[in-house]
Amino acid sequence: MNVTAERMSISTPHPPTPAGLFPITRSGPESGSEPWADSGPGPLLESEPESAPGLSLEPVPDDIETVGEATVERPRMTSRNVGVMYGDKMGIERVSLDIGSNEVLAMIGPSGCGKSTFLRCLNRMNDTIDICRVSGSIKLDGEDIHDPRLDVVQLRARVGMVFQKPNPFPKSIYDNVAYGPRIHGLVDGRRETDAIVERSLQKAGLWDEVRDRLEQPGTGLSGGQQQRLCIARAIAVSPEVILMDEPCSALDPIATARIEGLIDELRENYTIVIVTHSMQQAARVSQRTAYFHLGRLIEVGETNHVFTNPRHKLTEDYITGRFG
Amino acid sequence: MSGPALILVLLAFSAVAFHLGRRRAFAVSASAGGVKNLHSLPSYYGGLTALWCALPAVVVLGLWVSFESSIVENLVVAGLPEETRALPPERLNLVVNDIRNLAEGNIVSGEVVPEMRAAADHYLELRRTAAAASAVVVLCVAIVGASLAWRRVSPSLRARNQVEQIVRVLLIASSTVAIFSTLGIVLSVLFEAIRFFGHVPIADFLFGLDWSPQMAIREDQVGSSGAFGAIPLFAGTLLISFIAMTVAAPIGLFAAIYLAEYATSAFRSVAKPVLEILAGIPTVVYGFFAALIVAPAIRDTGAIIGLDVASESALAAGLVMGVMIIPFVSSLSDDVINAVPQALRDGSYALGATRSETIRQVVLPAALPGIVGGLLLAISRAIGETMIVVMAAGLAANLTANPLQAVTTVTVQIVTLLVGDQEFDSPKTLVAFALGLVLFVVTLCLNVIALRVVRKYREQYD
Repeated sequence: MNVTAERMSISTPHPPTPAGLFPITRSGPESGSEPWADSGPGPLLESEPESAPGLSLEPVPDDIETVGEATVERPRMTSRNVGVMYGDKMGIERVSLDIGSNEVLAMIGPSGCGKSTFLRCLNRMNDTIDICRVSGSIKLDGEDIHDPRLDVVQLRARVGMVFQKPNPFPKSIYDNVAYGPRIHGLVDGRRETDAIVERSLQKAGLWDEVRDRLEQPGTGLSGGQQQRLCIARAIAVSPEVILMDEPCSALDPIATARIEGLIDELRENYTIVIVTHSMQQAARVSQRTAYFHLGRLIEVGETNHVFTNPRHKLTEDYITGRFG
Repeated sequence: MSGPALILVLLAFSAVAFHLGRRRAFAVSASAGGVKNLHSLPSYYGGLTALWCALPAVVVLGLWVSFESSIVENLVVAGLPEETRALPPERLNLVVNDIRNLAEGNIVSGEVVPEMRAAADHYLELRRTAAAASAVVVLCVAIVGASLAWRRVSPSLRARNQVEQIVRVLLIASSTVAIFSTLGIVLSVLFEAIRFFGHVPIADFLFGLDWSPQMAIREDQVGSSGAFGAIPLFAGTLLISFIAMTVAAPIGLFAAIYLAEYATSAFRSVAKPVLEILAGIPTVVYGFFAALIVAPAIRDTGAIIGLDVASESALAAGLVMGVMIIPFVSSLSDDVINAVPQALRDGSYALGATRSETIRQVVLPAALPGIVGGLLLAISRAIGETMIVVMAAGLAANLTANPLQAVTTVTVQIVTLLVGDQEFDSPKTLVAFALGLVLFVVTLCLNVIALRVVRKYREQYD
């Protein structure tokens, strides 16, 4: 890849830091034995770990080819130098990207470019794949999500996920939504559960359609309703971040429009990362867009800017439909 | 020509017919402008010729074999002296049997008289003629069939469609053989059972508490009451099956959960076949194991803690049967657990559920109907299991719920009733058919329920 476009512009107060200048900050005594401790050459820095979790304090390694604004002022999640190997096969490499609070970040790119892989790193869903190894540093509100002291099930309660194909559990609509709050002990008694189920279904825009049939199986709903049920299920545990992996690819245009409207409403309370194959969808719902290509993050920036004035040749080729 | 040789010749004939039919297809295609103008590929014409050669001949051969012996016997009887033919049918039957035995060199009841010797020679001669005639007739039919088909070969003959139809008929015939043999078994058991219920009222059989099937053969024989209350047998069967399922259901299910959800693929690739080897051990070997090792061990252990354990106990048979059934449960459950879509697990993990929460609350409920189906199949296997209980459970028809005592099961009693010399019209023998019928009905019901449950499960997550 011959990159001649402008280098990463960093919006942090710090200038790019040479590798090795600061000690690698790692918490936890056994972190060296964890597979993700093998974090590559990039500096994983955190100069002031306890202060101001809303600020991006980590400079982005300057040896990567991403163009655009990978960092933001008030990140909810930060990733630095993230790489994923499936056995010997490279999934993604050297991805450094911030996800801002209460923004919708769209990730686009051709099939197999690693956008879903990166998404699954953010709540460690890749842990369920045996051969998958993740390196680099990912932080949620300044905490390393690979810290051995951090419980992965707590992480997933804070970073929820909605999948490509609606996957309601073969339980009633009510139990589908109540599942997360129940396993996390967020509810005490039937009335609290009722309240949280109603609130979640209302936020997901499904309440009016299912209020009279909460005891019927979730699998009996239409595809679009099932996907909104999955969104309700995800927000029932009050996550901070919701990851959506092509949530509309199995839906018709009307159901898609409803989900897109819903994403826009959810932005008030949640940070959303959405993987999509539809560039129109990315343009409609997101504030920032990241373009992936062959396992690398090529360009990231304001959605308007990326779509009207792409800085990288590959991004331009993709969004103008020359490939992908 | 003997039967197998005739079949081989018939196969050779149809191979030749295939070749000739195919050649003729090429020949007629030459005048029609090449193979592409034939309706079907040349091999279909060959196949059609071969089928026409073999099938009618096989049908004729089958009919011949079924009617030959009765025709030959009638001819032999017709050649017997007047006074022999005048005998009552049972006696005549005996004579015919003797003649057949004499002709085949077996032991004959009674003395060999010259008339019998002559009749036996007549019989042998008729058999020889019949064999030769059958060969001639069958091969003639084969040749006629093949040549008819061969003459019909033309570019417009729809050989492909006709072969397709013949294949379909053959497949239907094969499946009906299985259905009819099941039906035949059921009917024969049913009619014998009805004969038994002519001797003993059905209510006495199904609800009687006393099982003592020895019948008095003579008037003055003592100690043989002939009581046919089957409740002790049903109770024993249920007790042993229950013990077996208490062993097999949890162990099999947990093994399946481990294999499907926790084990690495390397471990699974070793453990699953090893577990399935358990299913390949002959049940008679399990029987030894139960009778020679487990039962004495249980008795000795019981003696140490002061329990009175019979040396053949329901517990021993049930435990070993449970071990035998583990692979059924684990293998079937493993399959249904693996069939639960990964998307459901991912959905649960993504909400922050742990692995065991996911298994308990998502995977097992989704797989439950399939697991229940597997368990029902295992139960019907346990109820019908014979060898282990014959060797380890005992023969005493105790009506007890104590697993440390000897009990007996339906299958054990069927075996003991039918082993050895029996009168086939006494209730003692006929009750075996009634027991078999009950066993059949129970396992059939369990299988039907299991299949329904499994089918319902298939529609679960769509």
